[in-house]
Amino acid sequence: MANHQILNFDDHANLRVLTGAGADLGDAVMACLVVPPEFRRLAIDYPILFRQDDETGQFSALALFGFEPGENLYLSGDQWDAGTRPLAMAVQPFLVGRARDPDAPGQVHIDMDHPRIAHGSDGTRLFEPGGQPTPLVEDVAEMLGALDQGYRDSAAFYAALARHDLLEPFSMDVTLDDGSQHRLVGYHLINEDRLAALSGGALAELHGDGHLLPIFMAVASVGNLAALVRRRNRLPHG
Amino acid sequence: MTGTKPYRVVIVGGGTAGWLLACVLAAKCPQLSITLVEAPEIPTIGVGEGTWPTMRATLASIGIAETEFMLACDAAFKQGSRFDGWVTGAADDHYLHPFTLPPAVGTASLLGAWAASAPEAAFAEVMTAQAIACASNLAPRQRGMPDYAGALNYAYHFDAGKFAALLARHACTRLGVVHVAGEVVGTTAAENGDVAAVALRDGRSLAAEIFVDCTGQAGLLIAGHCKSAWIDRSDVSFNDRALAVQVPVLPGSPVASQTIGTAHRAGWLWDIALPTRRGIGCVYSSRFLNDDEADAILRQHVAANVPGADVAALSPRRLSFATGHREHFWSGNVVAVGLSAGFIEPLEASAIVLIELSARALAEALPASAETMAIHADRFNAQFRYRWDRIVEFLKLHYVLSRRTEPYWQAQRDPATIPLRLADNLRLWQERPPSATDLPQQDELFPAASQHYILYGMGFPLPSRCQADAAALAALADLRTRARRLAAGLPDNRSYLAALAAQAA
Repeated sequence: MANHQILNFDDHANLRVLTGAGADLGDAVMACLVVPPEFRRLAIDYPILFRQDDETGQFSALALFGFEPGENLYLSGDQWDAGTRPLAMAVQPFLVGRARDPDAPGQVHIDMDHPRIAHGSDGTRLFEPGGQPTPLVEDVAEMLGALDQGYRDSAAFYAALARHDLLEPFSMDVTLDDGSQHRLVGYHLINEDRLAALSGGALAELHGDGHLLPIFMAVASVGNLAALVRRRNRLPHG
Repeated sequence: MTGTKPYRVVIVGGGTAGWLLACVLAAKCPQLSITLVEAPEIPTIGVGEGTWPTMRATLASIGIAETEFMLACDAAFKQGSRFDGWVTGAADDHYLHPFTLPPAVGTASLLGAWAASAPEAAFAEVMTAQAIACASNLAPRQRGMPDYAGALNYAYHFDAGKFAALLARHACTRLGVVHVAGEVVGTTAAENGDVAAVALRDGRSLAAEIFVDCTGQAGLLIAGHCKSAWIDRSDVSFNDRALAVQVPVLPGSPVASQTIGTAHRAGWLWDIALPTRRGIGCVYSSRFLNDDEADAILRQHVAANVPGADVAALSPRRLSFATGHREHFWSGNVVAVGLSAGFIEPLEASAIVLIELSARALAEALPASAETMAIHADRFNAQFRYRWDRIVEFLKLHYVLSRRTEPYWQAQRDPATIPLRLADNLRLWQERPPSATDLPQQDELFPAASQHYILYGMGFPLPSRCQADAAALAALADLRTRARRLAAGLPDNRSYLAALAAQAA
């Protein structure tokens, strides 16, 4: 049972969170949810793949960190070896909380069972002695807002992809230097042929709605799959 | 070079000076054969318990891990000095001289930006994030950082006796320094007047190419053998007495991030926080205050500032000191390091850093052949005379900017007691802020930034030509954000030290 609380000074005046990187801080995951506005920033380091929810049929995007559950090849001890992290990782242990009214602004919630909750003197404070949120919380609130907005806006993005039939299923067999086989299944990619064949009018419409840039960024990001394989092959053991 | 024979260094006297020097020389010059001779029955005087940030590089260079050092010496962090009551003596009269420098922007525009953006805020608060860390008793680093690295520049407060003991163990067990227990009772002169050997009470004698005098105020070799004259500086620096106590603190009580120097009517009090105690002392001038009056000031201060202290139980140690230094620190083949070289009140904790600098200079000079010894000596003497002059002036600066009216403080401002160069500087600084032109050496003890912290901390008027510019305003705005981030991310000293102790237990 998750222990989510609304972040507030009365309850969390002396709380600290651990901001580093590490498997023991919950970073050992093979992928995380990403939203179209951050594709441009993430495409430099991560492969961005799409996934369809079996029940709802809705698409979402993922940044891929590894080839099997629990494997994060960007994580090396207490370092996250990339210029930037996806918002969904960077906001932890915070999350967007929502009041009854779905249109009301989100609140900053905190997962008190998250391993980033500090239990000693280490970590970053959430509130200044006078009750003002610290810069960390200001940053988190901004990131949560961007994540929430990106998520809300993504319905239009995936509707546009569907309208132009731009997503195609993708699976990939990865054979590592040590001979082990991994198979990525159930993902989708942008179909580059169909993207190239779009009419000028269709492109203008996608561009006007702000979808064209994330589409091309997602295309470009796939090149990072090869880099991810190289990261995996550099690991000392199989 | 001396050919095939090992180059021998004999250090006479242990204590902080002798053992720190032994460690630095042994670590930097492994070809030297180093012997430290120390009389077990002579008690060592702890030359203050505050260091400079240089100590981090010094300890790293001699191969002592930070955790080992901090635990062995009951160390806490020192991020600067706070001066209470120096300007007027009013309750809200205090300023900070932190170790972290202001932003690297032109001083005049920085001062202009201060005046334009936050004239009501104290200079140090505007110029460095260290001020908020000091105000909140925060540590300068997080525990996960590598040894000797910090988010803010820092030094240490420590138990000087335990420090000397740690260095002695390290020197003898890891660095190959030979420890001889014995009392030096005389010297044998070489033909050229150098010291050929020192004679011990038990009849042994120790020969060497160079001797380092770490015998404290006695100056056994530098005064006794070399007759290097003592240059008295008490005409500028009046204080000649101190009463020192160690006061235990309540468990869990806050540990201050800086040395606190509190002015009183005829001197000042130091307050140095360690994990389990505070070292507090009353420095004064015997011309203006008698010992009983000083004792009363000390007890009153402890009662007012240390919760739970048993003031009646205190028995302060009385110290008398002469302020001054040798005319020649290096004479013939004898080099004086530590109190044998000179002493001045510990207002800016200059004692240990001078030992470090002497050790560094000596490590660069050795092994020095007989032919070049005099050249090394001349340069060493010029360099350290320069440093002493600058220290004397910088400490005096703390007094001449005061507006206190007691006779002692008025006497401190008597022009006859102000060194000419300081008087000249103060005239210059009315027209432009202190700059590297005034303090041109690469490794000034108190560079222009230190002068800024004192001057503008004490309310010295800004020169009229200080105009804010965009770079300076942006630097100060960045600094405000950085200060908030640091304050959120740094642990408090007490928690840090408790976690450190728990890790070792």
